Amino acid sequence: MFIALRDLAFAKGRFFLMGLVVVLIAFLTTLLSGLSAGLIKNNISGLMEMPVTHIAFEAADEPTYRASLVDRAMWEGWAGKPGVKGMEPLGHTVFNARGARNEPLELTLWGVRPGAFTEPRVTAGAQLGATPDGVLVSRILADKGVKIGDRIVLDRVLTELTVVGITEEANIGHIPIVYAPLPKWQEATYGPPGGMPPGEVFPDVVYDYVSVIALQLEDSLDKAAIAAIDEELGTTTLVKVDKSYIASTGYLEEVRSVGMIQYSLILIAAVVIGAFFAIWTIQRTQEIGLVKALGGSNGYLLRDSLGQALLLLGGGTALGLGAALWLGQFLMKTGRPFMYVPETVTAAVVALLVAGLIGGALSVRRITAVDPIIALGRDR
Amino acid sequence: MSLLARDLVLVLGDGEQQVRALDGVSVEVQDGELLAVVGPSGSGKSSLLAVCGGLRTPTSGRIRIGDTDITALGQSLLTGIRRDRIGFVFQQSNLVPSLTAVEQLLLMVHLRGRRPGRADRDRALALLREVGMEHRVDRRPGELSGGERQRVGIARAFMTEPALLLVDEPTSMLDHGRGRQIVELLARECHEHKVATLMVTHDPGMLAYADRVVRMTDGRLTEA
Repeated sequence: MFIALRDLAFAKGRFFLMGLVVVLIAFLTTLLSGLSAGLIKNNISGLMEMPVTHIAFEAADEPTYRASLVDRAMWEGWAGKPGVKGMEPLGHTVFNARGARNEPLELTLWGVRPGAFTEPRVTAGAQLGATPDGVLVSRILADKGVKIGDRIVLDRVLTELTVVGITEEANIGHIPIVYAPLPKWQEATYGPPGGMPPGEVFPDVVYDYVSVIALQLEDSLDKAAIAAIDEELGTTTLVKVDKSYIASTGYLEEVRSVGMIQYSLILIAAVVIGAFFAIWTIQRTQEIGLVKALGGSNGYLLRDSLGQALLLLGGGTALGLGAALWLGQFLMKTGRPFMYVPETVTAAVVALLVAGLIGGALSVRRITAVDPIIALGRDR
Repeated sequence: MSLLARDLVLVLGDGEQQVRALDGVSVEVQDGELLAVVGPSGSGKSSLLAVCGGLRTPTSGRIRIGDTDITALGQSLLTGIRRDRIGFVFQQSNLVPSLTAVEQLLLMVHLRGRRPGRADRDRALALLREVGMEHRVDRRPGELSGGERQRVGIARAFMTEPALLLVDEPTSMLDHGRGRQIVELLARECHEHKVATLMVTHDPGMLAYADRVVRMTDGRLTEA
């Protein structure tokens, strides 16, 4: 690195500009990884927190939480199968509603059986079950002013709910979740507009349907066994992580578009660094020939140049990463969909470094092609 | 004897374009002897330098530097020979643009895979003093005149205590007065360090400093 370090000081202008490009790319890559993780959390935090391994939907090629409809035979069928540790029917309906001060609220009503593993722990207030219309609301709604004791009225069906507890942030399809006792959810979802006329009761059939089945399956239950049960019961079962996330509105599109921007950035980094070192190596051809004539080996020159690329890349990435982490602190406090997960940030930064080094390595490789005879210049 | 070349033939190009750049050249240079090779451009002077310096492998013939026969060596061994046994002084000096004068010399230590120590630095400074550059050791090539660059180039060539010094048109970029000073310096250093020196030049005014002069025409050597 004897020459490389002095080159950095000698051609400061060029290396500063290139370093700045690396800093900006690293900055954007890091911010995007925060946005990516934040968007995912904002979309499906309610699912992520639920302690299940699989979700069973109504049979479909591309099942979704919104469209799925499963009946009692299906969920009771699943409950009796070997390898099933836990089974809970789960209702999922998106509602517009009015809060205590008549403010409009958009919420996803999830029907769960009180006390089941599908019911999250509250951070304030009481769990479900004490009253038939008591519900838990996601912290997101609490942040918007919904308080324990508030009455929420669902539009159209006019079902009245009372907030009894607040949970951690829980979203699905970017919409905050309100957890209701399953019968209340079934009445709201399958009941007539305007609610049941006075004096009439809901027909029993209302209580025979939910949206999906939340499952805790043992590892011994392999893909083929699950497919056999699906075939028998008319369900489509997806692994919770990733596969069932895709069934949430917008998830796949968001992950894909943010991922594509990230991949593009990393590709750009490889190409830009590669182009820079290609030009830099061509500019240094005379010098490289000279050092070779003086007895510098290809190995020496390659180490020198790769070290230089690594230094530029490492330094630039560290600065960009630092700046993005610093800015991220503020973004996370604002409640925007932004979150740093150490694994995703590390993966993005490592991918950037590797791509940049590959670009640099491909370019400095041409060092080996320089013929030292050019040091014996003819009248230049 | 530090350079011994026998019956060197170097054929360049293919087919119709084929040229015998060296056509049976034999040359010997003793330790401490400055041999000048003169001749018009295109006569094969540079080819002789390239072959003796291990930068071109001759089509036939043998070359010995010190007690090492380099004729049959591969590229990486030749790189090692250039590094350890040969000093080069190039036309227009050919310094690394980002290094200061003293760093040009210390680079030679790095190329041998060592970190320069106190002794190396002292030696580099002593060599720069010998060539009259002690006041500009921390200047980069861009801040030096053509003559000053050539002086640094000469000091660099002696840094590794070479067995053979190869000098390529050292005065081509200098005016007559500076050119004379440089060749005078080269001759003095060559005698002082007892290094066999082969200098290629087209400038007959520089021959007074040579111990012996040979003439090259169409790839053949004749005693001048």
